[in-house]
Amino acid sequence: MKTSGLLLMLVCAPLLAAAQDVDLHEGALIESAEVQGVSLDRLSPELRRDIQELADQRLSRERIAALASRIEAEHPDVVTAARDVLRPDGRVRVIFLVAPIGDDTGLAANINARYTIERVEIAGVDENRISQKLRDELQALVGGRLDPANAERLSKALEAELPDYSVTRRISRGTEAGRIVVVFNFEPSERRFWIPLPANRTKVVYHEDQGWSSVFDFRATVGSHAFSVGFAGGNNDDLIEEYSGYWLRAENRKAGTRRLGLSFEFGSYSDEWKASTLSALAASPSIPPAYSHRTTAQPTVTFAFDRRLRFSAGADVSELEPLAPSSVTQHANAVVASIDFNQTWRPESGGRQRLIAGYDYRAGTRSLGSDLVYGRHLAQAHYVFRHQHNRLRADVLVGGLSGQAPLFERFSLGDTATLRGWDKYVFAAVGGDRMWHQSIEYAFRNFAYFFDAGSVWDTGNPARVRLSTGVGYHDDSWFMTFAVPLNDNDVRVTFMIGFRLGGAVIDKR
Amino acid sequence: MTSADEPRGGSVRLCFFIAALVACAAGAPHGWQAMTTSTGGGVLRVHAPSLEIIEGAVLGWLRDGRSVRLDFELGVLAEPGGPIVAQSRQSFNVSFDLWEERFAATHIVTPPRSVSHLSRKATEAWCLEQLTVPLGQLARFGRSAPFWVRLSYRVPDLRPDGADDDPFTLQTLIDALSRKRRDNQPGKSVEAGPFHLSN
Repeated sequence: MKTSGLLLMLVCAPLLAAAQDVDLHEGALIESAEVQGVSLDRLSPELRRDIQELADQRLSRERIAALASRIEAEHPDVVTAARDVLRPDGRVRVIFLVAPIGDDTGLAANINARYTIERVEIAGVDENRISQKLRDELQALVGGRLDPANAERLSKALEAELPDYSVTRRISRGTEAGRIVVVFNFEPSERRFWIPLPANRTKVVYHEDQGWSSVFDFRATVGSHAFSVGFAGGNNDDLIEEYSGYWLRAENRKAGTRRLGLSFEFGSYSDEWKASTLSALAASPSIPPAYSHRTTAQPTVTFAFDRRLRFSAGADVSELEPLAPSSVTQHANAVVASIDFNQTWRPESGGRQRLIAGYDYRAGTRSLGSDLVYGRHLAQAHYVFRHQHNRLRADVLVGGLSGQAPLFERFSLGDTATLRGWDKYVFAAVGGDRMWHQSIEYAFRNFAYFFDAGSVWDTGNPARVRLSTGVGYHDDSWFMTFAVPLNDNDVRVTFMIGFRLGGAVIDKR
Repeated sequence: MTSADEPRGGSVRLCFFIAALVACAAGAPHGWQAMTTSTGGGVLRVHAPSLEIIEGAVLGWLRDGRSVRLDFELGVLAEPGGPIVAQSRQSFNVSFDLWEERFAATHIVTPPRSVSHLSRKATEAWCLEQLTVPLGQLARFGRSAPFWVRLSYRVPDLRPDGADDDPFTLQTLIDALSRKRRDNQPGKSVEAGPFHLSN
């Protein structure tokens, strides 16, 4: 007998609640059993019979749950919930409510949305660090069904309250069948540091004219402390010199406060020089001489204004052993200061933008015992926009030197990252004291087209602008490039290949 | 202290690079040996019983009660490695019923279509079954011309949040050498063929 009250109850019932519903009246005498939402004809005869045989039996939750599971097994596109309606005579009507999974967005997103939340747990942080309002919202989930969209919203809200952590959500079985436990798990995130680790220097690159260069930068982090050891093998991709050696670096990115960082780096490198560089040096007596070994020490203090902006100051002490045995060792000891900006945007329109910009000043000064007195300015900006398979990137570098700067401070262009297609040892074998460079690159599915322009020259000499273009496969680490100088006497293609672990950001510091 | 007119130390550096290439090759996607095709109902389907999608991190994610989105792409090629002549892209939501210990999948179309109570292999097979290319798009092959298929999938949910900010470690180097890019989503891609519509 279907009354209007019964119909209303059926409509309003939590249709997709667990099949193993504990609200069933265990032990009650069953008046009848029926299936709603799917025709009985669509069930197997055995299942139909077993459902009908419930009449005049005592209600067993276990038996009801098993029948609900059999309905789902025969129709895997549905979920089944069991309900009973208590009659005035104490007997119950059992109703199997069947509904397509796809009709419920929550279930379609996660089948566990059919279950009732037994409790909500916080793991990884002290619960008291979460606002009372948010804790109340979390506890309000208890007793209801899991709503994946709402749970995701709460995860985001938790991350917003404790931005030093990332929040993941786990679900596990509850203590009773059909019940689940939702755990919001907090894990310390890299975002907790305002001072990021410097870009990894690891690379193995090949330039058709300049040969192989390799650098390996191995790191270990313990909390806010980072330690790295690096090895360079015949690296001529960064500087005029070709250097091999090692460095050791230790840093603390949270020295009492996340605004303050300390670092110390020691390096020892053997240097080799191209004949073209030595010839150019011989013709330019104003440039400090080449050296055979370079030993450096760099203590630095960094102050972060916020996650995006930071200021660093320190010293860069270098000892340069001369090439010629009769010469004396020189010291290039500089005060260094830099300001860096780094931000990533994810606009609602889609895609991701990232801007890295910085200004770097270095001053070799006699107050630090330097034999070479100089000033060096370098400004650089790197912008990347990614959207689906598209990537657009632009780089700008501008630098200037004054005084007597050692060769490792002089600017160079024409390698695997700048003025691609040109060979720096051909047009500026000792680099220059002035430099600008811009690069723009578009890539679709990492197949890239780029245009580079730049100039490196010495004060008093004309600045010739050099252009190049090319195509290649460029992903975040790997590249294979074919580049052509646009305003050279010869039209030739230069081949470059390799990988850089620290990404494609050009760094001429 | 010597001049370096020619790139020197090349053999040592070449070894580094060859090691990187070997690692790269080792990390390259492997083929699914038993990929086959079938036609019926005016569409082409692929079958890849040896394909294992719900495993490793995906399986761990599902067993934690989370759902995983799988993005599939099936492309038909006129030659190995050639351009795609016809293709189908479909997405699915997969979750693991913690109490039933069975998988459920929803084909993200309008209206969505779902199944539950599936085993791991049945879930993978059901997803592939929905990934069809209309035979009308393959008319150029006739009954005898060979074609190849490229099946790939991605798991966008498993891309770690804040990957941009991950510190670089030895593991990062290993990942880079094995072509496991930081911005990459787990997934696989493989080609197989030749197939014929007459089959």
